[in-house]
Amino acid sequence: MAKKNNIPEVDIVVDEAAGVIREVKTDTHLRSKKGHERRVNATIYTILIIMSIIWLCPFVFLVLQSFRGESGGQVAYVIPKQWTLDNYKFLFEGVRVGFGMLIKDTTAIVLTALINVAGVLGIVGCLLRKPKNMLEKSSGNIKAALLVFGAMTLLNFIRAVDSTNCDFVRWFMNTLTIALFCAVIQTIMVLSVSYTLSRMRFKGRKLIMNVVLVLGMFPGFLTMIVLYYLLKTLGLTQAGAIPGLILISCASSGMGYYISKGFFDTIPKSLDESARIDGATRFQVFLKIIMPMAKPIVIYTILMAFMGPWGDYVFASYVAFGHKASYNVAVGLYRWVNTNDYQGYFTKFCAGGVLVAIPITALFMALQKYYVEGVTGGAVKG
Amino acid sequence: MASVTLKGVKKIYDNKVVAVHDFNLQIKDKEFVVFVGPSGCGKSTTLRMIAGLEDISEGTLRIGDRVVNDVEPKDRDIAMVFQNYALYPHISVYENMAFPLRIRKMNNEEIHRRVCQAAEILGITEYLTRKPKALSGGQRQRVAIGRAIVREPAVFLMDEPLSNLDAKLRNQMRAEIILLRKRLDTTFIYVTHDQTEAMTLGDRIVIMKDGFIQQVGTPQEVFDTPKNLFVAGFIGAPQMNFIPARLNAQNGYTVDVLGTRVELTGAKAQILGRKNIQSQDVLLGVRPEHTTVCFDKNEGAIESTILVNEMMGSELHLHVTTDGKNKIILRLPTIDLTDAQRASLVSGNKLYFTFASKVVHLFDPKTEESLLFEEIKTKA
Repeated sequence: MAKKNNIPEVDIVVDEAAGVIREVKTDTHLRSKKGHERRVNATIYTILIIMSIIWLCPFVFLVLQSFRGESGGQVAYVIPKQWTLDNYKFLFEGVRVGFGMLIKDTTAIVLTALINVAGVLGIVGCLLRKPKNMLEKSSGNIKAALLVFGAMTLLNFIRAVDSTNCDFVRWFMNTLTIALFCAVIQTIMVLSVSYTLSRMRFKGRKLIMNVVLVLGMFPGFLTMIVLYYLLKTLGLTQAGAIPGLILISCASSGMGYYISKGFFDTIPKSLDESARIDGATRFQVFLKIIMPMAKPIVIYTILMAFMGPWGDYVFASYVAFGHKASYNVAVGLYRWVNTNDYQGYFTKFCAGGVLVAIPITALFMALQKYYVEGVTGGAVKG
Repeated sequence: MASVTLKGVKKIYDNKVVAVHDFNLQIKDKEFVVFVGPSGCGKSTTLRMIAGLEDISEGTLRIGDRVVNDVEPKDRDIAMVFQNYALYPHISVYENMAFPLRIRKMNNEEIHRRVCQAAEILGITEYLTRKPKALSGGQRQRVAIGRAIVREPAVFLMDEPLSNLDAKLRNQMRAEIILLRKRLDTTFIYVTHDQTEAMTLGDRIVIMKDGFIQQVGTPQEVFDTPKNLFVAGFIGAPQMNFIPARLNAQNGYTVDVLGTRVELTGAKAQILGRKNIQSQDVLLGVRPEHTTVCFDKNEGAIESTILVNEMMGSELHLHVTTDGKNKIILRLPTIDLTDAQRASLVSGNKLYFTFASKVVHLFDPKTEESLLFEEIKTKA
């Protein structure tokens, strides 16, 4: 709410006894206005608090159910009578982590070794890297080395998880694979399309933008049947569902150019021109000048691209139809409570739901700042 | 180091708007040329065509001996300074200046040497580690110039580089650009809408309007012998006064203006004679600084009424009128004024002024061309 009259008129009164000059607010009208404002704010905040509690209820319910020890589906109470971690343990039954399984698989050994060697070389390289000039800080080297180390550890971990005997971990990995691929490919596509539409002038540019905008207004599910048969021809359903789903998400990703184009439009064109005169090619301008400045929108795009397939149910369920190994988490968990023993699986379903929510929540919390910047930055000039 | 030649250069936008018509100009090596004109006159478009940021619709552009119509900006060996500085906000001043060299894969020692040298010239050594955001307008402009000079380009392009600065800083930077130019000794093309900048910086000035070149000449030439009404009005501050008058061609040339008769002699009469000008209505132009104010009615002095008195410090600008229609600006140095005289210079009072015949300009009211302009002069 806009604050009105935030500079109240005051009378200066000399308080001789205290020997100080006091400011005394005299305008009673203003004071009552302030009181009114306070009351309005109180009402608004109360409504907002109630709404957020309502909004949080399902999630709290989900978390509580996931720790419930008693079996059975829906129960008439919220707080579990018996607390347990069994539901979570169940999810990871049969999974093996470690090199025990890797030794059986020679390609896995070679791959792990390669990752390790490359990682160590990368770390050493980062640490020994000569600063470009005396002004560059060497702390950048340590940061880069840590990044390489983190990536190496993650890759090793993924390699070391044998998910063949554990449905949940397999589904989780499926989802992660699809989401990661989509995040990378879709981000590249969206950003390059947006930059092109923002900066280049070519025949049919306006037409393309309008057509894409109108097409985007149709729900994606309209194409479901067609897409299914197309994918089937390519062999990308059931067993091939994972590449199929990646393809579906990425193929039309350029259509989501609108917000990032708005963001690019706010970056002065003279920066591009200046860089081009300085000797950069269009691609170098994009990579070295625009990308670092567009950090919020890059992160926003990555988040969006990651979240789409992460929570996808509709597409995943029919592309992977009937092929358990290709399910993603949403489909797999739903099958548990739908087609199997509902009573027995309900609490496990809840535990799975919590685990799915954790990474995306963490990601959001970490990148919240950029996310807001990205959305609002793009909205300035649409 | 290179000359720049524009031959019949034309810019036509997609919507068929012609921004620049048939632009012909030969810029010599190491020359400082200023394009000046009101906004929308095509000066920036012309500069951007030279830079390669706009396509050239017709004509040829040469830098040195090379036709560069279709050459990418990066391969034209030019550097450009933008009005809004166009600094890269995410990297330090040092990296901003090093950017064009890094793109060219120059080795680090050479980059460091050049950046430090440029920073030294521009006095920004202590800001090298800062981000552009932490700099003031003047410092940012210096960085932008620094980024251009590290390249050691053949041609320097500047697009209204001082327009975003405040008046005081602008004067200071103007002087620095003159010094920089002496130091770098290369070809400069400078775009501005400010006639003072044009006059003080340029070896030659190109005055443009509506996409046409109006006149090309040294600052002295365009000031003394403007080719047409537009140039006469544009160059010089305060603006030249234009008064309707009648030119008589009997027995030498005389001009009847505001109830007095001015006799044209010497070079001016010769030019009119050579051009065989007959008696006609004219617009007489006289610059405010060429008028003489007198407080008493002398012979030949023109009577007028003061409208506005502008105090400029060392001088007064007096807006006066003779008959309520013609508004004339007079310039009066304050140094010799008595207190009584000062007191009399208020709105509504009478004032007399004269001007010498040798400083007048004559324009044809229909063609707006100067009657006293001869083409030979600019080619000298």
